[in-house]
Amino acid sequence: MKIEREIRNDHIARIEGKAGVVVELGDEITAKINVTEGPRFFEMITRGKTYEDAATICSRICSFCSVPHKLTAVAVAEDALGVEVSEQTTILRDMLYFGNMVESHALHLYLFVAPDYLGYPSAFAMAEKYPQLMKHGLELKSYGAMVQSILGSREIHPENAVVGGFGKLPEKSDMERILKSGTEALQAAVATVDFFAEYEYPTHIDLPRNHLAIRPHRGYSVYGDGISASDGFSFDIEKYREFIQEEVVPHSFAKHSRYRESPFMVGALSRLINNSPLLDGTAKELLSTYRSLLREDNCFANNFAQAIEMVYFIEKINEMAERLTVKKEERVQPEASEGKGYAVTEAPRGLLIYEMELENGRVASLNVITPTAMFLPMMEVDVRNMAKGMWESGYKDPDLIGNKVEMTIRAYDPCISCSVHVVRL
Amino acid sequence: MSDTMKPKVGIHGLTSCYGCQLRMASVQEILRVAQRFDIEYWSMLSSDGTIRHVDIAFVEGSVTTMADEEELKAIRENADVLVAVGSCAIHGGVQGMIFGEEYRKVFGEIYGNCTMDFEAKIAEPIHKFVKVDHNLPGCPPEEDEIMYYLATFAMGSYPEEKDYPVCAECRRNGYPCVLIERGEPCLGPLVVAGCGARCPGHNIACFGCRGPVPHGVAWFDSLARTFREKGMEKEEIKARMEIFGRQYEKMNEMIEKVFEHED
Repeated sequence: MKIEREIRNDHIARIEGKAGVVVELGDEITAKINVTEGPRFFEMITRGKTYEDAATICSRICSFCSVPHKLTAVAVAEDALGVEVSEQTTILRDMLYFGNMVESHALHLYLFVAPDYLGYPSAFAMAEKYPQLMKHGLELKSYGAMVQSILGSREIHPENAVVGGFGKLPEKSDMERILKSGTEALQAAVATVDFFAEYEYPTHIDLPRNHLAIRPHRGYSVYGDGISASDGFSFDIEKYREFIQEEVVPHSFAKHSRYRESPFMVGALSRLINNSPLLDGTAKELLSTYRSLLREDNCFANNFAQAIEMVYFIEKINEMAERLTVKKEERVQPEASEGKGYAVTEAPRGLLIYEMELENGRVASLNVITPTAMFLPMMEVDVRNMAKGMWESGYKDPDLIGNKVEMTIRAYDPCISCSVHVVRL
Repeated sequence: MSDTMKPKVGIHGLTSCYGCQLRMASVQEILRVAQRFDIEYWSMLSSDGTIRHVDIAFVEGSVTTMADEEELKAIRENADVLVAVGSCAIHGGVQGMIFGEEYRKVFGEIYGNCTMDFEAKIAEPIHKFVKVDHNLPGCPPEEDEIMYYLATFAMGSYPEEKDYPVCAECRRNGYPCVLIERGEPCLGPLVVAGCGARCPGHNIACFGCRGPVPHGVAWFDSLARTFREKGMEKEEIKARMEIFGRQYEKMNEMIEKVFEHED
């Protein structure tokens, strides 16, 4: 293979965690996402820990997704021990999880992605020229952070969410605070949809693909009991190993996943592709207005999908805060101390799978598959096609191609800290 | 203060959950903070920046790869003042639990015979590799502490680290004692204050995320004795205390001593 040009960035800016990209251009074209962040062995360090301590450790897998990791680790322990939580706990967990979705999407869209679209190196540089846009971004971020602080005790690493319920329940005044900021946040989210709807998706990377998303319990939820694919197939979470394979590749401390032997996509776009009939309210209206933007074959549609989701999740948080009268209740204490459990939820970046075995109330084994580990191979395909498309259309400037390559990577909202831990042994 | 006198800062991440940088990015007054400093490097937020001379460098994360070690040394060479931010940078973080011989075994189990393109190593705190001038503790640090550290630097002064345990704040807030009154294995007596005893305030035993109190006065032995009196086994005590304290030099020795003397 003759290499005419190499595009190399050892440390991609404006993503969560540390990864690099190498694209070789010539008579053949290759692309590799190098995941260089060191492994942290979460499946090992949780061994022998109590399920409570294990769940608290798991939230440290990633700060952007600390709520999803904590709540999924809690859910898997509850599944293993046969714990049934109250309706109130279910509602409060949804609110907490949705709060994380809003904050995470806002951080991604405003701090990581928007500077690309407007031609700035950072959101700080963009703030002076686009104060209203930054105001919306910070409002949404603060709103999500507030919901998580109220229900989870803080915005990163939510110690208040525990097996069986919550350490401390919110007060009526807390619900009022959430409601009070809800209106403004919703307006900011709608403006976000309008902003991202204005940008045309880059060409060269249109490619049909499989989208995997949760089979939700109720409505357009983040909790569910199985996974459905856009090829029409669906399976129970207990069978995930049959359909999602993982392998070690030399250029990544994160393992790579495949669905029935092929790369696939997960995340906001995949959720909307598979589950958008379950939407309601303003998000549903906006999606029907901009239906053509929900492109299953172009990863840039993920940014638009995140904006739509923010609208949906804020409306749901508002509805729940309005309807719920928090009553005093004790945490459910597990009766069993042994068992095997499975849990799947939808983290901001896509499917998050936990499998756990408990003996004497302590972790005997744990397996975690994160969304970024799932979509890495698909991301490499898109990165390659982007570089190939530009190269073959006559673009030779490595900076220009490199810029579009990075935008492609950012569209997935990769979470490198999540992807690098340890997967199935 | 004129623009030329703005302190130059760099904000860096090694291996971690990126929560300390996220917490720094999400302080309420972030846009005003950004105006008071020249941010020379913050790759999480800006594609514009290289490691060059700064007045203050903030470093999150533990050293977990050879590349981390090289990057840290370059950061140190280019910074007048270096601040270790958060439990990973200060104590090695939860990933620091896999230690010594155990590490090679675990690495082999996971990555098998696949020869990796990059070299990984045991997660260690940054003071093992470079001189650290200040610690900003937390998992992640609290907003008021971040603002306090930044404010002292903006004024040309320096911050003082808290040197008392979570219990002090818990008592001050009047929370019921999770350890004595409810008999749960609360790590508050060992762990450096600053969180306002958030977890005990939520009826949850302190998990130790901020790390041991500094200056070698974290009394693992006396707390281990209390846990033992409450019926906990040695291995259970270690399993809990090591989560954020495994690389605290005397942890193991202090716990062992308690069981030696009373067996």
